[in-house]
Amino acid sequence: MAATVTLGVAPLLFLQLVYPLQMYPASIVSAWFFLLIIPAVILVYYLLYAAAFCLKGGKPAGTGWLWPALLGLLYVSLVYSSVFSMAEHPDLIRQLYARGQGGFQWNPAAGDYAFRWLHMVLGALTVGGFFAGVLGAKDAGIFSAGKKIFAYGMAAAGAAGLAYLLSLGDLLGPLMRSRAIWALTVGVVLSLGSLHLYFKRRFLLAGVALFASLLLMVITRHELRLLVLQGTFDPAAWRVAPQWAAFLIFLVSFAVAAVLVVYMLRLFFSFSGSDPENAI
Amino acid sequence: MEYPFWDLQIGYGILIAGIAVLHVFISHFAIGGGLFLVINERAARKTGDAHRLVFLQRLSKLFALVTLVTGALTGVGIWFCIGLLSPAAVAVLIHNFVWMWATEWTFFVVEIMAAILYFYGWKHMAPADHMKIGWIYFWAAWLSLFVINGIITFMLTPAAWLVTGRLWNGFFNPTFWPSLIMRTGVCVMLAGLYALLVAAGLKPGESKARIVRQTAWWGLCGLAIALPSLYWYWKAIPAAVTAAAIQGLPTPIAALHLSYWFAGIVAALLVLFGLIAPGKLRVPVALVLMAMGLGWFGSFEWFREAVRKPYIIVGYMYGNGIEVADADRYRKEGYLSAISYRSGDDGADLFRHACRSCHAMTGYKALKPAFDGVDRPFIAAIIKGAHLLKGNMPPFLGTASEADAIAAHIETGLDRRHISAIYGLQGVALGQTIFEIRCGRCHPMGGRGDKTTSLTGLTREDYSNLLDNAADMGVGMPAFTGDKIEREALIDYFMTLKAGGGK
Repeated sequence: MAATVTLGVAPLLFLQLVYPLQMYPASIVSAWFFLLIIPAVILVYYLLYAAAFCLKGGKPAGTGWLWPALLGLLYVSLVYSSVFSMAEHPDLIRQLYARGQGGFQWNPAAGDYAFRWLHMVLGALTVGGFFAGVLGAKDAGIFSAGKKIFAYGMAAAGAAGLAYLLSLGDLLGPLMRSRAIWALTVGVVLSLGSLHLYFKRRFLLAGVALFASLLLMVITRHELRLLVLQGTFDPAAWRVAPQWAAFLIFLVSFAVAAVLVVYMLRLFFSFSGSDPENAI
Repeated sequence: MEYPFWDLQIGYGILIAGIAVLHVFISHFAIGGGLFLVINERAARKTGDAHRLVFLQRLSKLFALVTLVTGALTGVGIWFCIGLLSPAAVAVLIHNFVWMWATEWTFFVVEIMAAILYFYGWKHMAPADHMKIGWIYFWAAWLSLFVINGIITFMLTPAAWLVTGRLWNGFFNPTFWPSLIMRTGVCVMLAGLYALLVAAGLKPGESKARIVRQTAWWGLCGLAIALPSLYWYWKAIPAAVTAAAIQGLPTPIAALHLSYWFAGIVAALLVLFGLIAPGKLRVPVALVLMAMGLGWFGSFEWFREAVRKPYIIVGYMYGNGIEVADADRYRKEGYLSAISYRSGDDGADLFRHACRSCHAMTGYKALKPAFDGVDRPFIAAIIKGAHLLKGNMPPFLGTASEADAIAAHIETGLDRRHISAIYGLQGVALGQTIFEIRCGRCHPMGGRGDKTTSLTGLTREDYSNLLDNAADMGVGMPAFTGDKIEREALIDYFMTLKAGGGK
C-alpha cells in the first residue's frame, strides 16, 4: 500500500506538468470529493493495518476491517475516474463551475466514465488475483483462488473495457484508425498470453506480459485522451526548455534507487532466520 | 486566472496550515527518527542493552505507523491542497522543478522501502544488515529534505532566478543552507520528542531513566542546531523583506516571537523531565512536550508563509496568483477578460480572483466587520489602494469599474444599517469607531502611518475641510464618503485628540 501510494506520486507529478489546464480545473470543481481522497486513503491504510495485526494475532475478526477498507478504495477510484474524465471536457467543467463554485460538483456524465471505472476496478482485481496466486503458489487452495480471480477478473475487465470502447460513440472510429489500435491489439494478446503463462506457472514471464499489457493500455488511453482533447489542447505544442543537468541527476538517482531497493530486498530475504531472537 | 476558483467557506491559510503543519511535524520526525533509531540500535547492540532494543522496536512501530501512513499521505495531501487552492503557483513550481521533484520521489521510494524493511526486519534480519537498512533509510529521507528544501526556500528568496530563470539559481537560493541546517536540527529535536513519548510509557526503573536521559539530549541537541540557524535564516532573507515585516507585518513577527517562547518551553521541559528528573516523565508530560514542539515548528512555518506576503513567490507571483509580469496587461485590459471560468456574476468572480485567496466575508481575515455600515465608493477606493493598506496586500491591477464591481459584491454581504445603529454608538465613541473603520486601517494610533500629531489642535472647520479634501491628500487616500452624522461624530473624535498621539 505504501509502495502503491509512493509510486502513484510520480504519475501525478507528470500529469500536473503536462495537463495543468485540464487537471486543476476538473479537480477544483469537485474539490471536496477530490480532497477527501486523502483522509479516505489514510483510513483505508489504518484499516488494513488493523486487519493485518488482527489476523497476525489469530483473530478472525480481522476480516471485518477489510470491507470498509474496500469501500474506501472504491471511493478513491470512483473520484479519480470522475475527475479525470471531466478533465477532458473543458465545456463541462465550465458548466459545472457556473452551477457552483464551492467544490461540490460531481461529474454528471456517468456514461462517460462508468465503464472506464469498472474496467479499472476489475483490472485491479485481476492484478490482485495474479499476485495472490504467485505469492501463494505453494498452497494449492490459495493458488486456485488466485487463478480464478485472475482469469474471471480478466474476462470481466475485458468485457468492461469493450463496453467502454463502445460507449465512446463518434470517437471509436478515429481511435480505431489511429496507432492506438496496435497498442490495444498487442495489449489484449499479451493479457491472454499472460493468463496462459500463469496457468503454466511460468510466473515471471506471465508478470512481464501482464505489465507490458498494462503499459500498452496506458498508451491506448493516452491516444484516446489526445483524440478527445483535439482542437482544445495538444501537449506537443508546449514550449519546452530542457534542464539536462537536473534530468541527469534524476536518472542517476533513479538508477541508484533501483539498485538500493534490490540490495535491501536481498538483505531482507537473505537472513536464514534460524535464530530470530538473536537478531534482536 | 486560467483556473477556476475554489470558493470554500473557510480561510485558505487555515486549510493549508492544517495539513501542512501536521505533515512537516511528521515528515521531519521521519528523518530525525531514522537517525535516532539506527544510532541507538548501534549503541544498544554494542553494549548489549536489551531494554533499549525493546524500546527501539516499539518506537519503530510508532515510526512506521505514523510516517508511512499519515506522514506520506499528508504529503500527498499538501499536493492536492495547493493544487486546488493555488494552481497557478503550483504550475510554476512544477514547471521549474519537475526533475528535482522527480529526484525527490526516487528518494521517497528508497525511504518507504527501507522503512518497511527496517520495521519488519527486527526479527528477520542479521543485526548488521538491519542497521545498513537503517542508514539507507536515514540518508534517503535526509536527501528528500535536501531537495524539497530548495523548492520551499525558493518561494521566499528566488533571488537571481528572477533575472536568470535558471534552475540552480532558484534552487540554491540565499535561504537554502540556513533552512536546511535549521530543518535538520528540527528533525533531530523531533526525533527526541517522539522517542520520549514512547519512553514515557516504559516501566519505571533505572533503564527508563537512562533511556529518557539519553533521548532528552536529542531534543536539546536539535534545538541547539535549529535556533542559531534560525537566526542565520532570518539574516539570509533580503533586508527589504525583513524590514517591511518588522515595520508593517505583525503576523509573521508575532509568529516568530511565539516560536521563541515555544522553543524555550521545550528546552525547559527537556531539562526538567529529561535530565533532572527523568524517572518522572509520564505520557501526559511527553504529550505536552510534543505539543510545544509542534507549537514551535508550526510558528516558524507560519512565519515563513506570512513573511513573504504580498507574494506567494516573492517578486514573481502575488498571493492571489497574479504574475508580477502581467501587471501592465491587467492595468490596460482589466481582470475580467482574463478569467477563464466564470460563474455568471462578474463581481463575485472578480472578488474571488483578486481578494478571496486571503479574505472571506466572515471568519478568517473577514471583510464584513471591516466594511459593515460603509458605502460602496469607500470600499472601491480601499480596493484600488489595497497595496498601500498594510504593505502586505497585492496591488489591485484591474480597472476602476472592476473595483466598483467588487465593492458592489462585497456590499451585498454587509450590514447596510448606519454605523451608529450597527454599533449602538453616538458622539465621540461613534467617531472613534468611524475613525477605526475609515481611517485606522492605514493610520492606526501608534502604528505605522499614525497621523495623530498632525491631527491635533485644529478647529472644527479645519477638520471639515480636511475631510472634504481627503482624496487629494495622497495616492490611494479615499474620499470621505460618510454622511453628516458620521462627519460630525468623526470631528467630535478629532477634537479629543491630544498632541503626541492618543486621546
